[in-house]
Amino acid sequence: MNWGLLQEGNNSSNASAGAANGSANASAAGGGEVQTLPDTLGSLLGLGQMGPLETFAMAVIASGAVATFLLTLVAVSGIWGKRKITAAFTDRIAVNRIGPFGLLIIVADAVRLLSKELVIPDGVDRPAFDIAPVIMVSSALLGFAVIPMGNGIQIADPETGLAYVFAVSSIASLGLVTAGYASNNKFSFLGGLRAVAQNIAYEIPLVVTAASVVIFAGSLQMSTIVEQQAQTLVTLGGLDIPSWYAFVNPFAFVLFMAANLAEVGRNPFDVPEAPTEIVAGWQTEYSSVYFVLCYLSEFIHIFLGGAIIATIFLGGPAGPVLPGFLWFVIKILAVYLFTQWARSAVPRVRIDQLIEIGWKGMLVLSFANLLLTAIIVGVIA
Amino acid sequence: MSNPWIAVGALGLVSVLVPLGMMAASALIRPTVPEQGKTAVYESGEVPTGNTRIRFNIQYYMVALLFVIFDIETVLIFPWTVIYRDAVSQVGLTKALVPMLVFIGVLVVGLVWAWRNGAVRWVQPTTSDRRQTET
Repeated sequence: MNWGLLQEGNNSSNASAGAANGSANASAAGGGEVQTLPDTLGSLLGLGQMGPLETFAMAVIASGAVATFLLTLVAVSGIWGKRKITAAFTDRIAVNRIGPFGLLIIVADAVRLLSKELVIPDGVDRPAFDIAPVIMVSSALLGFAVIPMGNGIQIADPETGLAYVFAVSSIASLGLVTAGYASNNKFSFLGGLRAVAQNIAYEIPLVVTAASVVIFAGSLQMSTIVEQQAQTLVTLGGLDIPSWYAFVNPFAFVLFMAANLAEVGRNPFDVPEAPTEIVAGWQTEYSSVYFVLCYLSEFIHIFLGGAIIATIFLGGPAGPVLPGFLWFVIKILAVYLFTQWARSAVPRVRIDQLIEIGWKGMLVLSFANLLLTAIIVGVIA
Repeated sequence: MSNPWIAVGALGLVSVLVPLGMMAASALIRPTVPEQGKTAVYESGEVPTGNTRIRFNIQYYMVALLFVIFDIETVLIFPWTVIYRDAVSQVGLTKALVPMLVFIGVLVVGLVWAWRNGAVRWVQPTTSDRRQTET
């Protein structure tokens, strides 16, 4: 019975997605399926029916474009924006010497950091020490494969997109614990342990809260989740309020924002780094390009968290007037601004408080949210 | 529509090449000044003592064990959430909801048990280990 139901559910959700898609985008060549960026590139180059090899080549180009966009975003927000925002909060001026508004500091800082000497400390666990930054950066980048960024920019649209994005982004914990263990430094070791304890404590509330959204959407496919949020919830004074899940279920949205702060390790949950307690946590011994990679992975993770929030709670790339891609960027920058705000305004919790909030507070609240959502949806449906 | 996992694999390739490319670029422009002393691990400026393979708080182990249980639980919850709406319309609310309530209930009993046993309470050192700060 269950398999039949599952099949039925998939069919109906696919059919509804296909119908909505067909009406919204009549020129889509996929015939009911979402046209992803590799498909678009292939049809632009006139490849027609693409084999696996052509698809792979087109997907490499698409991935290169998405990765370049992300690195640019990190360069602007991580090197320049972070300083400007923190300075605005603490009433300072920050970078303003090189270029307009100090923007050219991005180039200067990139060259400066990459041309630092790489110091390998005594007794580090060598291959693991080198691999850890690569794991962190690639796990964060991999998550963007299924994110619909608007205007047809989406690398792939598998049926299990939401499960995939959580699975991939949690590989980062492995990178953190590898970095902490391999560094042969007590601060790094404590930081790595704290990082993994924090990530696993807040992973469950994060995923369970996302599951409450899946109850509404009835699908794990990212394009279907976005499609479902395009319907009108209420009309207020001639304005159609879309049924974004942040409006439908604000409690889940707040829970997810808090759990996401912990997942990306920002204040008030930045105990893995905690500069006043354990120097720099798991990245104490990293210098030069390895430090750049650690820094990069943190910011890409913030943006991945923002992209997940935008997709499952804020209607993905939907928005009035401006093109979808711009709305998507605005939404993830808004989440980024929120993390920086929290960083400037909220004090850090202690590690024992962190574990208690995670296991006794967030976990119970997220299960209560899941069950309440299930009951409400069941009564209405 | 081709298999989406081909495109995911392509992004996997790119996401490994990006950090490797940055490492290669840095290797071309950075200096190497080998010198003893700066390779000592950082311990607030002191000469490092002992190694890092130390005993650490048992708490991290308890939390990891709890995580395994709840992680598998979330894996089992996801398929239910996908079919839930269709299931309610076909077999009614009770048949769709009650089995999952029972399943989560069993796990909540486990969480309460772990909670009461102190698995999620931070382990404090016993009083004999504590250093006296007053007379």
